[in-house]
Amino acid sequence: MPGPEPDLTPDPAPELAHALELENAPQIGTVTDTGPREGRSHRRAPLTARQLSTRELSHSLFTELTDPETPDARRSSCREELVRLHLPLVDHCARRFMNRGEPLDDLVQVGTIGLIKSVDRFDNERGVEFSTYATPTILGEIKRYFRDKGWAIRVPRRLQELRMSISAVTGDMSQDLGRSPTPREIAERLGVSVEEVMEGIESANAYSTLSLDAGDSGEDGQGNSMLDSLGMDDEALAHVEIRESLKPLIDQLPSREKRILMLRFFRGMTQSQIAEEIGVSQMHVSRLLNRTLAQLRTSLTEVG
Amino acid sequence: MSHSPDVELRLPAESAYVAVLRMTTAGLAARLDFTLDDIEDLRMAVGEACALVLEHADPGGDLHAWFDLSDGSIRVAVAADSSSDANPDEGSFGWQVLTALTSDVVSRREGQLHWVSFTVRSSIAA
Repeated sequence: MPGPEPDLTPDPAPELAHALELENAPQIGTVTDTGPREGRSHRRAPLTARQLSTRELSHSLFTELTDPETPDARRSSCREELVRLHLPLVDHCARRFMNRGEPLDDLVQVGTIGLIKSVDRFDNERGVEFSTYATPTILGEIKRYFRDKGWAIRVPRRLQELRMSISAVTGDMSQDLGRSPTPREIAERLGVSVEEVMEGIESANAYSTLSLDAGDSGEDGQGNSMLDSLGMDDEALAHVEIRESLKPLIDQLPSREKRILMLRFFRGMTQSQIAEEIGVSQMHVSRLLNRTLAQLRTSLTEVG
Repeated sequence: MSHSPDVELRLPAESAYVAVLRMTTAGLAARLDFTLDDIEDLRMAVGEACALVLEHADPGGDLHAWFDLSDGSIRVAVAADSSSDANPDEGSFGWQVLTALTSDVVSRREGQLHWVSFTVRSSIAA
């Protein structure tokens, strides 16, 4: 059961450094220090070109955004550009909450709301980096999402607490008994009724419940079942063997036959197209193809 | 089923009601002193069995459930009205889960009813 209370007391500055690095890594081999003072690094040794440009771009966009002279249309495009510029930061923040029972896309989405809020509220005059300001807001938005939406069904506090004591006792009792306890045993240990224990267990399932074959009847109504997301054997796997055994046989074919085969089955050309390409009639191509295929089939079964 | 079952339940044949059925099953199993792990298996098996019968269920029909309770074991049968003569895909993932979690899995058709049944035994009694 994913814990709905993520532990979070991040120092925003390293987050920023990290996010910028992630963004820069592919282009620039050397990235400067990732220390907690990154937010003020414009005082320090030369920055890489890309870092400068992100920062400067952000800064100049904010200056333009807050300038009362800027026309409304330009202002809204500045705002949009600022949001887009800092999306990697959101992605980075959201990734920290991966595998906690909520899809990453949802986290990115709520994080982006946090980013938009911080773009709207940011005061450029304060002299702090925007990312330093935005990171706590984004994280706050994601945390709030976990608090409000963590449980698929809102469960009363009494049951949430009961569930916690049940899971604690279950661990202990499994150790003592060498098997998982029965609800009656748990009820006796906790001094509650069997019905209450069942209620508590049931509430744990309220976090999210779905059969694997059940269709997704959510609001997006895509109708995918959870089963669709599970892996299965690659259908083409069976063909590997056939393909491998065909290879030497194809290599033995005369070059013209081989060429026709390639054009037909690898380039997906029609027989008439092949006829044109090679300079024979379509009928001839058809005959040649049939003969080659029959030949391959026979040699394949002979080998098999 | 030929003899009268201990508990019988009829629900609308919609996946939304499967949760109710799962909960009921868990309650019955708790009465039989199944362990939490057994109950969890049973709950999952009921979910999968329902998914199997609901796949071909007629819209607006009923989902039936029978429970045969005995000491240390429970036999569950779920059925839905279905006019299609499709049988559950025994290669499907749901079927695999069901056979792995339970014993004596049977899928049968009786008139309009298409049902899947299985037994789960308590790991204590064994």
